[in-house]
Amino acid sequence: MAILDKNLSLRNRNKMLVGVYEDEDNLMQATQSLVDAGVHVHDVYTPYPVHGLDRIMGIRRSRLARVAFFCGLTGLSLAITMIWYMYVYDWPMNIGNKPERFTPSWIPVMFEATVLCTAFGMGFFFFWRNRMLHGVKNEILDLRQTDDRMIIAVETKEGMDEKSTLDLMKKNGAVELREFHNGVQTTL
Amino acid sequence: MIHDSIIRERLVTGDKTAADVTRDIARPILNQPSTAWKVGFTLSVIFLGIFAVSLFYTLWTGIGVWNINKSVMWGWDITNFVFWVGIGHAGTLISAVLLLFRQKWRMSINRSAEAMTIFAVICAAMFPVFHMGRVWVGYWALPLPNGFGSLWVNFNSPLLWDVFAISTYFSVSLLFWYIGLIPDIATIRDKVTTKGAKFWYGLFSMGWTGSTRTWARYELISLILAGLSTPLVLSVHTIVSTDFATSVIPGWHTTIFPPYFVAGAIFSGFGMVATLLVVARKVMNYENYITIGHLDAMTKIIMVTGSLVGIAYLTEFFIAWYSGVEYEQYAFLNRAFGPYWWAYWSMMSCNLIAPQVFWFKWCRTTPWFIFIMSIVVNVGMWFERFVIIVTSLHRDYLPSSWVMYSGSLTEVGLFLGTFGIFFTCFFLFAKFLPVINMAEVKSILRNRE
Repeated sequence: MAILDKNLSLRNRNKMLVGVYEDEDNLMQATQSLVDAGVHVHDVYTPYPVHGLDRIMGIRRSRLARVAFFCGLTGLSLAITMIWYMYVYDWPMNIGNKPERFTPSWIPVMFEATVLCTAFGMGFFFFWRNRMLHGVKNEILDLRQTDDRMIIAVETKEGMDEKSTLDLMKKNGAVELREFHNGVQTTL
Repeated sequence: MIHDSIIRERLVTGDKTAADVTRDIARPILNQPSTAWKVGFTLSVIFLGIFAVSLFYTLWTGIGVWNINKSVMWGWDITNFVFWVGIGHAGTLISAVLLLFRQKWRMSINRSAEAMTIFAVICAAMFPVFHMGRVWVGYWALPLPNGFGSLWVNFNSPLLWDVFAISTYFSVSLLFWYIGLIPDIATIRDKVTTKGAKFWYGLFSMGWTGSTRTWARYELISLILAGLSTPLVLSVHTIVSTDFATSVIPGWHTTIFPPYFVAGAIFSGFGMVATLLVVARKVMNYENYITIGHLDAMTKIIMVTGSLVGIAYLTEFFIAWYSGVEYEQYAFLNRAFGPYWWAYWSMMSCNLIAPQVFWFKWCRTTPWFIFIMSIVVNVGMWFERFVIIVTSLHRDYLPSSWVMYSGSLTEVGLFLGTFGIFFTCFFLFAKFLPVINMAEVKSILRNRE
């Protein structure tokens, strides 16, 4: 499975139909009616998380939690290996006549290493999956999509009834309709 | 069907729209700095200078310029270390624990509290690092292979746990803060006009577009990071407390220390959050975002944690008597009625008695009064660490080695100087990054239920 989510780039795509919304409720209704009409909604861009939108769009629940678990296991194993190697194998130390095998005093370092690896491992995969890297060009359809506008983007396919799709967007409160193709946007 | 709640009060007042939120919160970033900012920043830099001078003197002359000596090996330095680490904890509490409990009021204050965590941990780290004396061999604290006969670090020591805990805490907090900032950095990126600003905000926004796919994962990673940070923050102060509790010094060797320290950390941290936010909401015109309701909620937490800390003080005293151990009993009597009685009673009155005023609604809802009380809390919590450290050390088992300790000018300078580090960082943060989480605040503009 590819880690990078290919859906996030707008490059090399067919013509996109873009609906601009100002209201969260209208946006939800528009997305729902587009999905009900069998239109594939490519993506919805919002300035803040709109809960429930991902379910309407049929986005699968992220597997990041599982990734986190495995990163945590890695951290824990690394910590145990490190402590055992340094403390038991390479140079056994007698401090306060405490046993050099596993003792509860190992637990704090094991815990911290687990948390560190989970957090950073998860962060790494989060950025990778979301195509986020310093210097990545931001492909935004509207300068205000990070401010107060919400954008529905539908990728056209052959044989698709573009007019009825645009009508559906308009009917549900789109304040503006546009077309986006090869990096050029035209207002409809 | 979604309704606007008619029962709950709005978390953001003034009928703000999403565009208003961006405009209000991005204003300090998009405009020239205000006079208040310039004055504050200059003052902070002066204090930063005091830090630099004190540090230079310490390093140039040697650690002997501090008054620590036997038997008070830890003095202002470790007091300040615990003080700053404690302050940092409220940031994680607000961003992580309140997120897990779905407390939406945290959304206006989490960003600045998290920033406070990071800056406070930087200040805290200065003290154990420079306390080492020969700071250039500070890397010996890390589990690195070395040329002295393969000797490794001691995994039985709480001081080593501290190295792991503080560094993990700092880096995970930084990651949590940065991931939370990305959507807002993207908003600023799309607002700024100059080429340089476009480049820097563009670089740090990592190509953020606000795609629903990304938001879904973003919310999940925030939740998991919150889930991780909660035990992490508890572990950090637990480990700080074991620096004391695993020793055999009367007054330190108590099992109550971990919960007592964690409660104290939250208490002092909220004190600092209140200090900062009461000023910030006024100076930066954020009264509609950080409302009286927020102050009310924070002061309630201050009162609860202050009382928890108070119970811990009383429990310690009781257990010292009940244990029948004369050294323990003497340590506590010496704290309250010995030569450092003034520090003990400052601590008691600032931390246990003073916060009880928050039972009254007027006290919880009057910003200038909360500001004064927050300073009282900070002073009290500094004294708590001073009392724990100095009163236990200055009279050990051997009366012939009993000494009195007070911080030297350099030690005072270093402590004041860390306020310079803290506030310089905070002023820069307030100028270049949004102090309030715009994306999250936009999601709570309507009172949904």
